[in-house]
Amino acid sequence: MIHFDDVSKHYDTTFALRNITLSLEKGEMAFLTGPSGAGKTTLLKLIYAAEHPDSGRVTMAEWDSDHLDSATIPLLRRNVGIVFQDFRLLDNRNVFDNVALALRIRNISERDVKERVLDTLRMVNLRHKTDSFPPALSGGEQQRVVIARAIAGDPIMLLADEPTGNLDSDTAAGIMRIFKEINARGTTMVIATHNRELYRHTGMRVFRIDAGAIAGIDRG
Amino acid sequence: MTYYLKATLQSLVREKWINLLSVLTIAMGLLIVSLVSVIVYNVDRATAKLPDTFSVTAYMKEDVSDAEAQQTVGVIRRNRNVENVRYISKAEALKELRKTLKDADYILEGLNEAPLPASLEIRLKRSSVQPESVKAFIADLRKMNGIEDIQYGEKLLSSIHSIRSGVRTAGIIFMVIMGAGITFICYSTVKILFYRRKEEIETLKLLGATRTFIRTPFVLEGSALGAAGGAAGLAVLFAFDVGLLRSLVSSVPLFGSVVFPTFLVPALPAAGLFLGFAGALIAIGRIRF
Repeated sequence: MIHFDDVSKHYDTTFALRNITLSLEKGEMAFLTGPSGAGKTTLLKLIYAAEHPDSGRVTMAEWDSDHLDSATIPLLRRNVGIVFQDFRLLDNRNVFDNVALALRIRNISERDVKERVLDTLRMVNLRHKTDSFPPALSGGEQQRVVIARAIAGDPIMLLADEPTGNLDSDTAAGIMRIFKEINARGTTMVIATHNRELYRHTGMRVFRIDAGAIAGIDRG
Repeated sequence: MTYYLKATLQSLVREKWINLLSVLTIAMGLLIVSLVSVIVYNVDRATAKLPDTFSVTAYMKEDVSDAEAQQTVGVIRRNRNVENVRYISKAEALKELRKTLKDADYILEGLNEAPLPASLEIRLKRSSVQPESVKAFIADLRKMNGIEDIQYGEKLLSSIHSIRSGVRTAGIIFMVIMGAGITFICYSTVKILFYRRKEEIETLKLLGATRTFIRTPFVLEGSALGAAGGAAGLAVLFAFDVGLLRSLVSSVPLFGSVVFPTFLVPALPAAGLFLGFAGALIAIGRIRF
């Protein structure tokens, strides 16, 4: 599903990623861990083409970093659900419209949008917050809105960047339960996290990133 | 489409003050453009009647017989610039003069012969009533035998044409400048809105939105601002027509033939819409992923 083939990326003179080679299978849930600035976010960005590798090649399903252009990038991104570290919710739109955005960009009919948004919000236990605006929600609720937006379009892959960063352990456990449910439906997942509790006892692969390189691969 | 319309409407309401300011500025600009249009239209309309009244009078020499004069008429008729020619003999000229003098025709008593020379009244085709072609025609006419003198409103013709083309050119230049100004207003407004929503646009891009999806609400918003400006300008123009122009037309003789050009009714909002559309399109530019 995802292949990094000797991928390097640098910003000015600093290497963000150095000769990364890894593969993820379809339906797999994998974790990226490592200290801040290790390159986890850059690695995720390379998957959804927010960054382009300086050398090497990234492939995601049928997309290849060497052959991406402004016409194909939106198509790739519609197949990837992203849970951003900084949420990226639109404060001037309510929960419903924030989630619906992921469907409207796919030109889905308004009737289907309504049905799918409400189903997704039910799944993340936010059906009662449909009309609320993001600033009025707690951190955990905002995180669940982001997850709902990421999965509403039924992507083949879900990327989550520090999804439990500012959440208490109970809320984090709730988020992890949702992720497992999503993964059980066959969605490939990559979760970048500092939180060991998230991957402990999962049996999933954990890629340890340090200074832009893979320092080791463990099992959670 | 529902999404685009909703997003446009939401933005128009959310940014109501900047949008209102833009609409008023566009309305002012288009109002000035339309006032210039009223002037250009009326000058054009007034001068367009000139070819219908324009004629050349060629006076024949004293010794030219009626037969020779008719021969000259035939030659002139064949000229491609000529619509028709009327020969006025000395006798006819005297008859017309008597008619003109009415009760004062005693002035003519005692004259042994007709005092006025025979003449030709030549009407040119509408397309030929241009200073250059009239000059060329007059030159040809002077070369003909039997023609003594030619009279036509040379100065009037060239000055009316100068006024007409001057007003037209100045009007077009002014409208182009104002059009560019209005486009710039729409450009600036959409650019500001675009920068204010930069983060939102970035999020849309990351979610997989296409360029069209991102651009469309901005283009619709720019077009709506332009059209609203045009409609507001039209409303003021109507007020000007009803409140001032109509009373001037009925009371001041100088304004007697001034008319309100009805083409401005659809043209003003349409021009606003087009300029707003163009301004928005330039403002958004190329979206990079």
